[in-house]
Amino acid sequence: MKELASPLRKFSLGGRLDPAVATAFACIVILLLIGSLYSRNFLSPEYLLQQLKVAAFLGVVASGMMLVILLGQIDLSVPWVLTVGAMMSSALAGYGGAGEVFAIPFGVACGLAIGLINGIGVAYMRIPSMIITLATNAVAQGLMVLYTGGFSPKDTASPAMRYLATGFAIPGVPNALVCWAVVGVAVVLLLTRTTFGRSIYAIGNRERAAYLSGINTRRVVMAVFAISGGLSAFGGVLLAGYASKAAQSMGDAYLLPAIAAVVLGGTSILGGRGSYLGTIAGVLLVTLLQSILSVMQMPEFGRQILYGAVIVLMLLLYGREKAIGR
Amino acid sequence: MPLNEPLFRMEGVSKSYGGVRALEDADLDVRAGRIHAILGENGAGKSTLIKIMAGVVAPDQGRMILDGREISFPSPAAANAAGIVCIFQELSLIPDLSVADNIVISNPPRRFGGIDRREQRRIAADALARAGASDIHPLALVKDLSLSRRQLVEIAKALARRPRVLILDEATSALTAADVSNIFVVLKRLRSEGLALLYISHRMHEIAELADDCSVFRNGRKVATYPAGSKTNAEVVELMIGREYKNVFPPKPPPVPADRPPVLECRKLSWSGRLHEISLTVRPGEIVGLGGLDGQGQRELMLALFGVLRGTTGEILIDGKPTSIASPSQAKSDAIGMALIPEDRKTEGLMLPMTVRDNLSFAALERISRHGVIDGAREQAMIEDMVRALAIRSAGVDIPVGALSGGNQQKVVIAKWLMNRPRIILLNDPTRGIDVGTKQELYVLFRRLTAEGAAILFYSTDYDELIGCCDRVLVLYDGAVKRELVGDEITEHALIASALDIDAAGPAAKAVHS
Repeated sequence: MKELASPLRKFSLGGRLDPAVATAFACIVILLLIGSLYSRNFLSPEYLLQQLKVAAFLGVVASGMMLVILLGQIDLSVPWVLTVGAMMSSALAGYGGAGEVFAIPFGVACGLAIGLINGIGVAYMRIPSMIITLATNAVAQGLMVLYTGGFSPKDTASPAMRYLATGFAIPGVPNALVCWAVVGVAVVLLLTRTTFGRSIYAIGNRERAAYLSGINTRRVVMAVFAISGGLSAFGGVLLAGYASKAAQSMGDAYLLPAIAAVVLGGTSILGGRGSYLGTIAGVLLVTLLQSILSVMQMPEFGRQILYGAVIVLMLLLYGREKAIGR
Repeated sequence: MPLNEPLFRMEGVSKSYGGVRALEDADLDVRAGRIHAILGENGAGKSTLIKIMAGVVAPDQGRMILDGREISFPSPAAANAAGIVCIFQELSLIPDLSVADNIVISNPPRRFGGIDRREQRRIAADALARAGASDIHPLALVKDLSLSRRQLVEIAKALARRPRVLILDEATSALTAADVSNIFVVLKRLRSEGLALLYISHRMHEIAELADDCSVFRNGRKVATYPAGSKTNAEVVELMIGREYKNVFPPKPPPVPADRPPVLECRKLSWSGRLHEISLTVRPGEIVGLGGLDGQGQRELMLALFGVLRGTTGEILIDGKPTSIASPSQAKSDAIGMALIPEDRKTEGLMLPMTVRDNLSFAALERISRHGVIDGAREQAMIEDMVRALAIRSAGVDIPVGALSGGNQQKVVIAKWLMNRPRIILLNDPTRGIDVGTKQELYVLFRRLTAEGAAILFYSTDYDELIGCCDRVLVLYDGAVKRELVGDEITEHALIASALDIDAAGPAAKAVHS
C-alpha cells in the first residue's frame, strides 16, 4: 500500500485524490456530454484540440495565480501585467533585429518586475495583497495608456511570438499547449521537489509556524509574486502572438477565469492546500464552460454572472469544509 | 441580607478540558461587603474558576447559587445581567474610541434607534466617579490615556454594568505601586458599598492589604479557605505546593564544570519594557530552567534569543563571540545551531492539516536538499530515524499531523527541530497539555540530548519539572532575573517565594504584616 501511495502522492500532490479535483474532472465530462447533445462537433478531435490551445493561455496565467493563492494571497494585477507583457514584447519587436530576439524575454521581464514590486509590498511592507496588486494593476494600465496614447498600438508581434502561440513544433500539438506543459511541469516540480515549494505550502498553512521553523517567509512570498507577474506577462506574450498584436484591455478576460480555475481545481482560497492537477482541471473546466456558453450564444453578461456565481458557490463549499475540519 | 448568607456560592463545580481536569469539585462562598482573594500556582484552576463564574465556559458539573437561587450562565452577557462582572487581565478597551464609548460599549443607551450620546456621557461620568477617576474626561480617547488611567476606565466600565460581584483577575499586574494604591482606595470603597469582590493576584502584599478572606487552589482543587492574616507567608506557600511530588525524572548527572565555556550567553538583554537587562549563560550539557509566574517575560526572552523580536538591546554571544541574530532562519543556521520549541504547537509549531512527513521536514529543509531540490531518500531516512528515536506513535508519516494525540504532536514539534541537530535548544513550556507518560519520555530525551552535548534553556510553568529536570533555574519576575537557584537550592519553596518576589524562601519566613 505504501509503495502504491507514494507515486500517486507525487502526481496529485495531496496524498489521496482530492475530491474537488475529481469533481472538476467529472464536471468536464458532463460539460462535454451536454455539449455533444447540442452539437456533434463537441467530441471531435479538432474541437478538443482547439479548446486545449485556448486553455493554454489561461493555463499559463493560472499557474502563477495558483502559487499566489497557495500562499493565501491574491494577485489582482493579472489584467494589465498581461497587457504589459503583450505590449512591451510587441514594442521591442517593432525595432526589428535584436529587438525581435529579445522581445519575449523583455515582455516577461517587465511582468517579473511588476510582480517583484507586488512581492516587496506584500512581504516587506506588509500591504495586503488585494490592495497592492490592485494598485500596481492601475499603475500598469496608466503606463500603457500613456505609452499607446489610448489607441491600440501599431506594433505587431514578432515571428517568434507568433510561432510560439500558433505554430506546431510537434505535428498535431499546438506550441501554445507545449508552452503550458513546460510551465506546468516546472510548477509541479517546484511544488513537489523543492524546498521552495514546501515553503509555499507551509506559509499558506500557517505563516507564523513557517517563520518560526526558520523558513525565510518574506523571500518566498516576494519570489512567488514575481513568478506570478512573469507568468501573467508570458501569457500576454503568447496572446499577442496569437492575435498578432497587443490590444488595450486584452487582459481583462483573464483575471476572474484564472482565479476561478484555481479555486475550481480545489486549491483552498485560504492557502496551503491544492494540487496542480486540480488547476489543470479547473482551467479546462473554465475554458469549456466559456466555449459552450458562447456556442449556446449566451451573451457576455450572462457569462460574467455565471463565473461569479460559480466562484462564490465553490468558496462557500470550501469554507464549510474548513470550518468542520478545524 | 444577613451577613452570614453568601451572595454567591459554588458547589462541587468541575470542569475538564479534553481529559485534563482543570477544576475539580470546587466550592466557593462569596459574601457581600468582603474582598475574597484567590491564590494558587500556575494552572491551579484559578482562571477556570473565574471563567465559569463569568459565563465564559460552562461547568461540567456542580451548581451555582446567587441570592439563594440556582443559576447558570449560557454566555458572559447572562453573567453580566445577573450582576457578575469580570475584569480580565488583558485590557479590553478599544484605543480609538472615547472613554464614554468604551464604558457603554456592550449596551449603549438608545434613543430613536441611535445612540443617545448625552445619556452615554452621563453614564460614563457617573461610572468614572464611582471608580474614583472623575478627572478623566468621558470624551477623551482611550489611546491618549496612560496604562494606569486605562485600568481605571476598565474598572469604571465594569461598574457601569451595575455589578454585585466584581472579579478582578490580576487587574493590578500592569500597574505601578502608586496606581495600585489609588485603585485600592476604590476597591475598599466598593466593599463598603456592599459589593462582593473576588481578587486574584500573585502579589502577596496586595492580598495582605486588601483581602478579608483567602482561598488557596492547587491542582484544580480548593485546598483551604481562611480569614486573611491568619496564616504566614510560609504556610500559604506550603498550601499552594501541597505534597504531591512524584519521582518521574531521570537522575541528574554531576554538575557541568564551571570552567566549561558557555555556548549561549546573553548580557543585559532588554526589549521594549518587557525584558530588563537579562544576563544568562548556558553551557553544553546543561539544562537551565526559567522559572517564575506565567508571563514574566520568559516567552519574550526565548523569542528575543531566537531572533524573532525587533529592537532588542544588549548582547548575545554564541561560543563566546558576539552574534546578532536577526531571524529564525539565521538562528537555526549551522554557525548558531539554535532551535525553539514554541509554546503553542497548534499555531506556532505545526501545520495541522499537513502530513507528519511535511511537518517533520520544515525546520531541516536545507539538510534534506541540495541546491533547493529535496532528496527524497535522504528525507525518508532522516524521518524514519526520528520517528523511531522519539517513538512517535502515528499510523504512518503521510497522515495529517492534526490526527495525532497531543503528546505525539508535541513529539513531532521536537523531532522536527532535532532533524536539524541543534546545539542550543530553547524549550517553551514543552509539556503543556500532554499526558504523564509522554512527559516522562521527554524528560529522558532532554537529558540524553544534553549528554550528547546540547545546551537546553527550559521554561516550564510546572515547578516540579524545573526541580526535576534543571541543573540551574533562573527565576524571572517582571522581565528581570530575580534569582538564580543552583542544584539543591531548587526547591518549591525557593521557586515560589522568588516567583512571588517575597522573602519566604527559608522556614524562618516572616509572618504577613498587615
